[in-house]
Amino acid sequence: MKSLKRFFAGLLKFYRGNPAGIIGSSIVALIVVACLSAPVLTENSPTKRVARGHQPPSTELVFGSTRAGKDVYSQVLYGGRVSLMVAFSAAAVTTVIALSVGVTSGYFGGRIDETMMAVTNVMLVFPQLPLLIILAAFLGQVGPMVIALILGLTSWPWGARVMRSQTLAIRKKEFITAAEVMGESKWRIIAVEIIPNLISLVAGMFVGTSLYAIGAQAGLEFLGLGDPTVVSWGTMLYWAQSSAAFFVGAWWDFVVPGTVIALMGGGLALINISIDQVSNPKLRTGKYLKIWRRMKANVEAKRGQA
Amino acid sequence: MSTDTKPLLQVRDLSVDYVTDNGNARAVNQVTLDIRPGETVGLAGESGCGKSTLAFAIANLHAAPALISEGEILFEDRDVLKMSERELRDFRWAEASMVFQSAMNALNPVITIGDQIIDVILAHKTVTRDEAWKRGEELLETVGIHPSRMTSYAHQLSGGMRQRVVIAIALALRPKLIIMDEPTTALDVVVEREIMDELYALKEEYGFAILFISHDLSLMGEIADRIGVMYAGRLVELGTAQEVLDDAQHPYTKGLVASFPTIHGPKVRLEGIPGNPPNLLELGEGCHFADRCTLSTDLCKTTNPDLIRKGDKEIACHVVHSEEVAA
Amino acid sequence: MAFIIRRLAFYMVAIFIAITFNFVMPRLMPGDPVDALFAAAGGKLPAETLAAYQEMLGFTDGPLWEQYLQYLYSVVTFELGPAIMMFPVPVTEVLGNTLPWTVFLAGTASLVSIAVGCFIGLYASYNRGGVVDRFVPFFWQFVASMPQAVTALFVFFVFALTLKWFPLGFGANPDLDPGLNWTYIKSVLHHAVLPMVTLIVSMLATWIFTMRNAMVNVLGEDYITMAKAKGLTPRRIMTHYAARNAILPVVTAVSMALGFAVAGQVFIETVYNYPGVGQLIIKSVGARDYPLMQACFLMIVICVLVANFIADILYVWLDPRLRK
Repeated sequence: MKSLKRFFAGLLKFYRGNPAGIIGSSIVALIVVACLSAPVLTENSPTKRVARGHQPPSTELVFGSTRAGKDVYSQVLYGGRVSLMVAFSAAAVTTVIALSVGVTSGYFGGRIDETMMAVTNVMLVFPQLPLLIILAAFLGQVGPMVIALILGLTSWPWGARVMRSQTLAIRKKEFITAAEVMGESKWRIIAVEIIPNLISLVAGMFVGTSLYAIGAQAGLEFLGLGDPTVVSWGTMLYWAQSSAAFFVGAWWDFVVPGTVIALMGGGLALINISIDQVSNPKLRTGKYLKIWRRMKANVEAKRGQA
Repeated sequence: MSTDTKPLLQVRDLSVDYVTDNGNARAVNQVTLDIRPGETVGLAGESGCGKSTLAFAIANLHAAPALISEGEILFEDRDVLKMSERELRDFRWAEASMVFQSAMNALNPVITIGDQIIDVILAHKTVTRDEAWKRGEELLETVGIHPSRMTSYAHQLSGGMRQRVVIAIALALRPKLIIMDEPTTALDVVVEREIMDELYALKEEYGFAILFISHDLSLMGEIADRIGVMYAGRLVELGTAQEVLDDAQHPYTKGLVASFPTIHGPKVRLEGIPGNPPNLLELGEGCHFADRCTLSTDLCKTTNPDLIRKGDKEIACHVVHSEEVAA
Repeated sequence: MAFIIRRLAFYMVAIFIAITFNFVMPRLMPGDPVDALFAAAGGKLPAETLAAYQEMLGFTDGPLWEQYLQYLYSVVTFELGPAIMMFPVPVTEVLGNTLPWTVFLAGTASLVSIAVGCFIGLYASYNRGGVVDRFVPFFWQFVASMPQAVTALFVFFVFALTLKWFPLGFGANPDLDPGLNWTYIKSVLHHAVLPMVTLIVSMLATWIFTMRNAMVNVLGEDYITMAKAKGLTPRRIMTHYAARNAILPVVTAVSMALGFAVAGQVFIETVYNYPGVGQLIIKSVGARDYPLMQACFLMIVICVLVANFIADILYVWLDPRLRK
């Protein structure tokens, strides 16, 4: 109970005077809640044909219909569940791998470190999207969870590097040496001493990877590499593109999923930035600057400077 | 050093505030201090007492969130705080220069030592680059470094060499005052000794005044003519080096002197000063040292003592003042 | 110097791994790799030609390592097989035609966004707390976090389709003959505006942030205070002391940003039907043209590595602490 209370206190401290974080979290929360409550918000199934093709938004179909006559509103909500799940799963996989590799490499050093870093560096230097494209091409049209897995397995190197350098920095500190001398098992040291100090880094990485995954998944599906029979934001874009929605003026077909993706990405980005600023206060621009300016003006006036 | 000589630097009731989201922290609190030409004044105190802040204020180097809120700084009768940007740039380094604590951090890592010596010369004097370069080589020789090092980078020099380079740069324009902020703290004792000896020689030859800031009272005792002791932003004691070290009056100074071991003399148990320095955001009305002082009275807790002159010394302590009155 | 050589060796290893990846992938798929690889060829290739290509790409009867060596040899001698989509044009020729377009687009967009982004970041850090510092980086980050595919679609829709200010696709007017004449060049530039703007918009935020954060960190350093104490002009401090140091993390960031730039490239070329390598790789996936696809992949990897290497050299040139 006490740790829960501390958790909430910490959360509150994070959000105080942090407009970016508040706005970002609100956007994300709104979208997530909306998608989760899809059955409540719409009675139409995302896969059933409910109207004629490419109907503009109306009171019945808030976001209009796709080429195949399906409800765009319903698709956005149900498809959102898929897209969000892919994004968060990929983020989870990446974070777990990056954490494991980074901390192990940083803590144990030596041969383990060298090998892991060699692998990491090589993976890091490879451009990710072409790799994903080739993989997807060889695997055929893959479902969303496979995409999530591939994304998770290819995005960890950068996070691992960051985790490693942080671990190295913490490792040098004396309380680690003290714990080792006292005979604490290495795994316990890692779990109890090192990882709690990496929390903000882990949070940042999770958010950052989700952000990347939303876009990557949408992009891959848009390019036709995903499974078009599954409804997700990316496949909505794919169908909009292939049904030439642009050219027939059915803008809602892609503006809706596009906007939702953009908002989700933007919200996550804001959260990311705010995490950055909280962990590095120098980057913050607090209100003290305004007060300082005012005081300086007063002092200079008193001194007789123009 | 006759007291009739016109002071080079007069700091009058100087206050420096740090503006934070949680309020103003007064790092320097109405400090008054004089430095005469050629004099070496030491400024002692523990970390966070405001000595570095005071040093930076003299060259008006403070930027947000620090603000010089009160007082004046008169350098040869000109108020540094009223100077325009242009005047300030001319004043800096030519009249008063600085030696920073960590030479590694004070030197730009990506340009050569030589460039860093001559850029200050070129900024203040109209000479050709070659002439400035030659002067730079001379300066390096003065501090005992081979002139070929002009083309080296900071990371290629040893700690002691770097500190000498910083001193050489400080001398470049033959300033009247050099402010040294813990110049030897980052060095080991052997190198420290070399640098200090170097400093004596340079002082003899060029006759500049020094504001020597350190937490090392014994080191200060060697080089300083007068010593000032700061606590929580206030100057609590000021007098000749001899008097301050041998006959400290203020309870804090006494504690400070007592916490330094001596090699000679009987073995004495070291005494620290119990407690911690106060939070500058939460300073009370009374003497800032009262909480840690063994002699504090009720008056000490309610009113801040002024720095009162007693002969050549100045003390800010009610207890000492009352003794005076009683005597 | 040792640093450069180590990096070079590292990149060689990476290229090898990419080649090996290309070698291994078809063999991992279910079924006969040869059939799969050339499935799209259908009846287009005469049997002997097909056999010749197979052999060139290492699909011989010998042991695996022999096949690998054969493949390696072919790659190194630029014998990468036919572009099945465009038979009988060899893959290398197809790549040769498309690569310049991509380099033009990606190269220019990157340079512009780095320059503009750094400039804005510099300004923001110099005027801390000003309007630019408080809002501009966040705004751009928000804009940039839109997946590039989406941004490209939006821009395309608004400016090309609706407003009709810019053409709907292609590298240049398809009716014109390529040549070094002004009409053609003008057409190229006209067609490049939208893709380039989209690319720049998505990449700008990174540079604004990187430069601003780097500058904020640098401006807190002692050597900046000393430079001020020396009475140097603000301009000299900004250039020789601040920016000169802040540029280092920016160069490091270039290596990171390259992967992102490549991804953006693919989306934007697809949306705008721009004749670059990004679009080529997508088309080849669609057409199941494996030789072309693999060659594109290799080409992209090599380009990224080359760019990385250039960034490394630049870094060594800028940071004397790495030379010894």
